[in-house]
Amino acid sequence: MRSHEEVDDLEAWLKEGYARSFRTACLILGNRSDAEEAVQEAYLRAWRFRASLATGADVKPWLYRVVVNTCNSKLRDEIPHRDRRSDGDHLDGVSSIEDLPGRVARSQDVARALQDLPLHLRVVVVLRYYADLSEREIATAIGRRQGTVKSRLHEGRRLLAQHPALLSETGADPLSESGDLR
Amino acid sequence: MTVIDEDRLRRALGEAADAFDVPTGAQDRVLAAARTATADASRASLRAVIPHTRRVRVAAIAAAVVLVAGGVTLFHPGTSPSSRQSATSTAGSAIGKGPAPSISGVGQTPTTGGASTGAPSGAGSPASPRGPASGSTASPAPAPGTPTTPTSIAPLPPGAVGQSPKVVTTGSVDLTISSGSIQSVVTRLSTLVVGDGGFVAKSQVQVGSPVTGTSSSGTVVLQVPQASFGTLVTQVQGIGKVDSSTSTSTDVTGQYVDLQSRITALQASRQQYLTILSRATSIGDILAVQSQLDSLQSQIEQLQGQLDVLNSQTTYGTLTVSLAEAGHHPPPAPPPRSGLSAAWHDSVSGFVSGFEWLIRIAGPTLFVVLFVLALAALGRVAWRAYRRRTL
Repeated sequence: MRSHEEVDDLEAWLKEGYARSFRTACLILGNRSDAEEAVQEAYLRAWRFRASLATGADVKPWLYRVVVNTCNSKLRDEIPHRDRRSDGDHLDGVSSIEDLPGRVARSQDVARALQDLPLHLRVVVVLRYYADLSEREIATAIGRRQGTVKSRLHEGRRLLAQHPALLSETGADPLSESGDLR
Repeated sequence: MTVIDEDRLRRALGEAADAFDVPTGAQDRVLAAARTATADASRASLRAVIPHTRRVRVAAIAAAVVLVAGGVTLFHPGTSPSSRQSATSTAGSAIGKGPAPSISGVGQTPTTGGASTGAPSGAGSPASPRGPASGSTASPAPAPGTPTTPTSIAPLPPGAVGQSPKVVTTGSVDLTISSGSIQSVVTRLSTLVVGDGGFVAKSQVQVGSPVTGTSSSGTVVLQVPQASFGTLVTQVQGIGKVDSSTSTSTDVTGQYVDLQSRITALQASRQQYLTILSRATSIGDILAVQSQLDSLQSQIEQLQGQLDVLNSQTTYGTLTVSLAEAGHHPPPAPPPRSGLSAAWHDSVSGFVSGFEWLIRIAGPTLFVVLFVLALAALGRVAWRAYRRRTL
């Protein structure tokens, strides 16, 4: 069947990148249900417009670009118009029972610090240090220049180093380093 | 400058991300949604997935409103300054209309022997199921072969076909009267025309002012029976100094006779249709004949109206008397201003002119701004949609 052949592309994308895409969206959006909706929507959209991907181009940053844009749409058009979720809502789905209490607490602190970052900084930090995209791939994913990505990463790391949640968790300076990032 | 360590940040983010369990079956749901999408259904379902923001709708509606409003403002003929001015002047011309009966009022004008040959406008006709008003407002198209109303008819010689001559007489007299006597002259004209069996159709007087140096003037339209028209002209010329006097007579006997003939022929046709109607048995036949009857009735009423107008015009002559008081003086010139006063007045005049200019350009400027904003909004929406689709 032709439809099954066409879906093969989507199946491969999902198998290779769904889990990481989902968790990337979780870190950007801050909650699980929105992230699941956003990623599902993003994959369907990417599959529909797969013809717009240039032949030979790398799928990974392109897919992340769709995911990031979908997250941006949700943050811009949907989430501000609904009731605020409770502070602990981002823990929905966290496998806390088996985890050590300290690890869960640290995850909460990191998630809170991320949510306090401006969106444009949060996106590049998550794409770089969780999704493991290169600066060039991030530039493709967010449609900006590589220099912009570099400066945003630096600004994001600087703000995270000053965040009280991470300071209280890490003590004086356990997660920090001095000097400019290059 | 202190920044967070990259490796530790990577680890921390990894731990925070691992805390979110990947939903089970989510990939299957995505695949199922994609598989069930046929070519058309796929488009529909994906359209539902793509959020339509309110911004798109608002921008589209705003652009449409601005474009429509602009188009109406620019191209609607009813809003042009010239048409407004025309409407104002038309309304103004009605001022001073006298209480005389309207010349087009059917039934108000005196009738002559010629009118007796025509049907009485079809009113009260026992065979007509509809009143004359309904027949004249929604008349069907005349049937093929039936006579139509002519646009111009050559007049016949007087006395043709045994008809007494029908003549439309009009005239005008321009009079100069003594200063301050306009009201008494108007009253005298009214007395004269009533004495001759006529009436004042229109009277308009502008009273002058010695302060502004304007003199009084006026216009009086008199209607008098044809037989007394010459007498009235003579009487009017005796009231003041005659500046000019004209008189025109138009023979409309041919037009009158033609109208009568057409009415008679149409009435005969109507009588035949009535006979046919009385013998009709089927609903279809009745409706067909009724339609023809309505058409005939409408034509008869139109021609009868024209005949009544001609009757009125030929029964009464119309004399227009223009009055002007002697000693007309132009308004006194304003005293010359001193240099300072002239400068002050020029300044005020310039300020007012500038303000008027600002108000004058405010409308077009606002339109242009709204138009550009609407285009910018549309462009922004289109650009976003394009970027979203070409992710």
